[in-house]
Amino acid sequence: MEKMARVTTALGGNTITGRTMFCHLDAPANAISVCRDAAQVVVAGRNIFKIYSIDEDQFVEKLNLRVGRKPSLNFSCADVVWHQMDENLLATAATNGVVVTWNLGKPSRNKQDQLFTEHKRTVNKVCFHPTEVYMLLSGSQDGYMKCFDLRKKDSVSTFSGQSESVRDVQFSIRDYFTFAATFENGNVQLWDIRRPDRYERMFTAHNGPVFCCDWHLEDRYVFRFDIRRFFLRIAKYWNRLPRELVESLSLEKLYIAAGPLPTDTTGEGRCMSCLMLSAWALNYAPETSFLMLLPWLTDSGNNLTLPLLPSFSPWGQVAQTWTMLRIIYSSPGTVPSANLNHSLGKGSTSLPLMNSFNLKDIPPGIGNESRLERSKGESRSENILMDSSSTLINNDENEETEGSDVPADYLLGDVEGDEDELYMMDHENPHAEEQEYILPQEAFPLRHEIVDNPSALDHLQEKADSPHVSGNEAETVSLTPVESFSLISISHSLYENRLPTDFFNPIVRDMLLFYAEQGDVQMAVSVLIVLGDRIRKEIDEQTQEHWYTSYIDLLQRFQLWNISNEVIKLSTCRAINCLNQASTTLHINCSNCKRPMSNKGWICDRCRQCASMCAVCHHVVKGLFVWCQGCSHGGHLQHIMKWLETSSHCPAGCGHLCEYT
Amino acid sequence: MFVARSIAADHRDLIHDVSFDFHGRRMATCSSDQSVKVWDKSENGDWHCTASWKTHSGSVWRVTWAHPEFGQVLASCSFDRTAVVWEEIVGESNDKLRGQSHWVKRTTLVDSRTSVTDVKFAPKHMGLMLATCSADGVVRIYEAPDVMNLSQWSLQHEISCKLSCSCISWNPSSSRAHSPMIAVGSDDNSPNILAKVQIYEYNENTRKYAKAETLMTVTDPVHDIAFAPNLGRSFHILAVATKDVRIFTLKPIRKELTSSGGLTKFEIQIVAQFDNHNSQVWRVSWNITGTVLASSGDDGCVRLWKANYMDNWKCTGILKGNGSPVNGSSQQGMFNASLGSANTSLQNSLNGSAAGRKQS
Repeated sequence: MEKMARVTTALGGNTITGRTMFCHLDAPANAISVCRDAAQVVVAGRNIFKIYSIDEDQFVEKLNLRVGRKPSLNFSCADVVWHQMDENLLATAATNGVVVTWNLGKPSRNKQDQLFTEHKRTVNKVCFHPTEVYMLLSGSQDGYMKCFDLRKKDSVSTFSGQSESVRDVQFSIRDYFTFAATFENGNVQLWDIRRPDRYERMFTAHNGPVFCCDWHLEDRYVFRFDIRRFFLRIAKYWNRLPRELVESLSLEKLYIAAGPLPTDTTGEGRCMSCLMLSAWALNYAPETSFLMLLPWLTDSGNNLTLPLLPSFSPWGQVAQTWTMLRIIYSSPGTVPSANLNHSLGKGSTSLPLMNSFNLKDIPPGIGNESRLERSKGESRSENILMDSSSTLINNDENEETEGSDVPADYLLGDVEGDEDELYMMDHENPHAEEQEYILPQEAFPLRHEIVDNPSALDHLQEKADSPHVSGNEAETVSLTPVESFSLISISHSLYENRLPTDFFNPIVRDMLLFYAEQGDVQMAVSVLIVLGDRIRKEIDEQTQEHWYTSYIDLLQRFQLWNISNEVIKLSTCRAINCLNQASTTLHINCSNCKRPMSNKGWICDRCRQCASMCAVCHHVVKGLFVWCQGCSHGGHLQHIMKWLETSSHCPAGCGHLCEYT
Repeated sequence: MFVARSIAADHRDLIHDVSFDFHGRRMATCSSDQSVKVWDKSENGDWHCTASWKTHSGSVWRVTWAHPEFGQVLASCSFDRTAVVWEEIVGESNDKLRGQSHWVKRTTLVDSRTSVTDVKFAPKHMGLMLATCSADGVVRIYEAPDVMNLSQWSLQHEISCKLSCSCISWNPSSSRAHSPMIAVGSDDNSPNILAKVQIYEYNENTRKYAKAETLMTVTDPVHDIAFAPNLGRSFHILAVATKDVRIFTLKPIRKELTSSGGLTKFEIQIVAQFDNHNSQVWRVSWNITGTVLASSGDDGCVRLWKANYMDNWKCTGILKGNGSPVNGSSQQGMFNASLGSANTSLQNSLNGSAAGRKQS
């Protein structure tokens, strides 16, 4: 990464403006860290180690920490961390295995304070204890983690992971003694600092190396990043990313991404903005993983974003997909403000929602999954998803509420549940996001003014005011609820009126194809129905027909005839629509001569006798006519019913034992 | 977690096949005692035998249901070289009171010279068609042009496979982009014939079935073969039961020409091969969404296979023949818990045999 950029959001009223600034660094940087009040940022890399101050509109280099005539290897840093309590304390992890602490208060030019040369290989990560000033943890490529007390000369304890290289270590905010370590073989271990001989827990998080992890602030959840697989996919598209987008992408992830990213020819490849997030509730199955998507990854026609969306666990991502669709296709004008106020509900802002969000209550993965299983045939699955997600908002209730039935003609933006779903996304996002997650604001031209998410604006307002609270280092910090902001709101702000609504059509089409290839035809058909004409022309008729036919077949297996009929009625494909039109005529034969009757009157043309005579009263039946399917005799409903109370033989006298259902 | 229920089948000999109907509420079993039994599921989930009758003069190998839009129709095939189509008759109040339904033989297909080893109805969108395969290596496709008259079946195609066939499977995809396809598996033991799975596709131009692909990698006798239900996928998944469980994907290679122009070329890949059974695998069966595969083997266990998000197939459950789970199956406790909610519906939707052979 050659550039460093920062985006600020300043809010005035309902508009969001942002600033992007960047500066050129002389050399690639591996890590950055901000100080406690976010006025300064330290940048560390192989050949660079500087402190910049973050001014109103530019970065100003304040200090170059690489001093000395002979640049030693100690300056080549893989990681840097600024202590959140002590303004002057920095620690770096060097590629030669050395952990260096720096004291900025020193009068001499060389601010180096202490040197710990205990690791045998590159130190990948250093991490200060959130509350203890003197405790420092380091993780190294040699597979060991060491805890240092800065008051002493040597390390206090060594933790051996018995695994491959340690890629990340992170203290837990909540537990004083706990830290997490992630490894190259995909394992994640939890350690207690008091017990260096073995880990407390270990589980396999990913198939590949786990490069970064983070703790949720309130609960004991750890989030893992394994973006290796991602970047292999992103790599293809880098050349096509617009220049402005690339330049303004935020930096924190670069640090994470630096390792596995394949470099592409332009050198812009290091920038990334797409995260895969694997949410690991320690009590829940690994399956509850979902994907954080930053919508401004795309450019025109670039199929970058949404296909990556559903790469992992199905349930959380389906909810995400609907949110994305809503963002893409709904224009704020259609959302009445009354809707919003109502759905905000819990308070004047949605901050309380954030604060009290508890992932443990209703994990989106499990909740959605069980609902989907139960309501497999529901073509309105999106409502169900939203309803279950809206229960997340109910901070006080731990049980899932059966979501209200959303009206059948669900249109984007008209349903109240929508808002809740948006806020559900908010909940997921902050946990992924880091403290100083500076999103580019002008990566894309703004699509529209934000009128439908006032609460989101509030978040951003707060964020601009106090961007840093006592959190951890920039790279791996998790947001406090107050600071968290809605990713969705950011995404809104990026779109201006200039973007046509079908800008994302190719992406949505790819997303649908992706779901179909996975066999999730319900998703594909639901989206087709909901989006209707907007997406209809993107997918060829044959494929649409195939999806509809398969879905209707599936519904019929479960004997959900009404739903299947609704799907037929609402489908966008002509071949399917006409399924309802088949067999809609009834031919009536004269009961006497058995020849088809004309549609005029009650007299049969051929035999000149009255048709449909009641077997009981021998008059023409002009109202409800019921007949036995066995002998085809029948009559007025009332008469037959009365007859059957007494005798089960046919009233016409044919001797048949009539059966009426 | 799986709930297994044991049903006393009362067959007097080996049960060779079990088949669920389209909705999963009726079941048919066939046995070496030459009879077929039909079971209905009651409201509280119990299975009751509602019909049991002698169908053939030899062991009945397979039984299969037709789509309910044609009525309640069964087909069975047997060692006595015939395949028979049965229909259930509604009415007959006497039997109804006793809870027995009445099945009537509609037609007997006697073209084969050797034991008929498999019979399968074609997907519903092809009309009322069925295919049989026999030990002399001929696959016959019959069609009933009038769905109201089940006694008239005409032989439409005869495909000569040159290998003694043991199993066939129709490709259930209803997409118009996919032409009708049958996979044929062979349990031929002769050493000079290697490839045991053949795929035949209907060619619109010649109006015949022609061999589209041969799976060269399957060289052991094939006991069962099954296409996965295709709910919107552009490619096909085929499961083969031989000495191990194998799963293949067949991706049609796009041709510039549209439907005309002959057979589709496929890119065949093996995506999974499991020998966890450590013995011959006798049956494979897919669930209705085509996401979970069940296999049964000579080790007396039923194994379930599922693909994760990275398209890696893994075993997600093991059941012993008596229904008890095997402890090794739960990989992590959490993993099974998340499957738990899906299981009851999975159980219902397991079409086909869960256990290849059951002792009565």
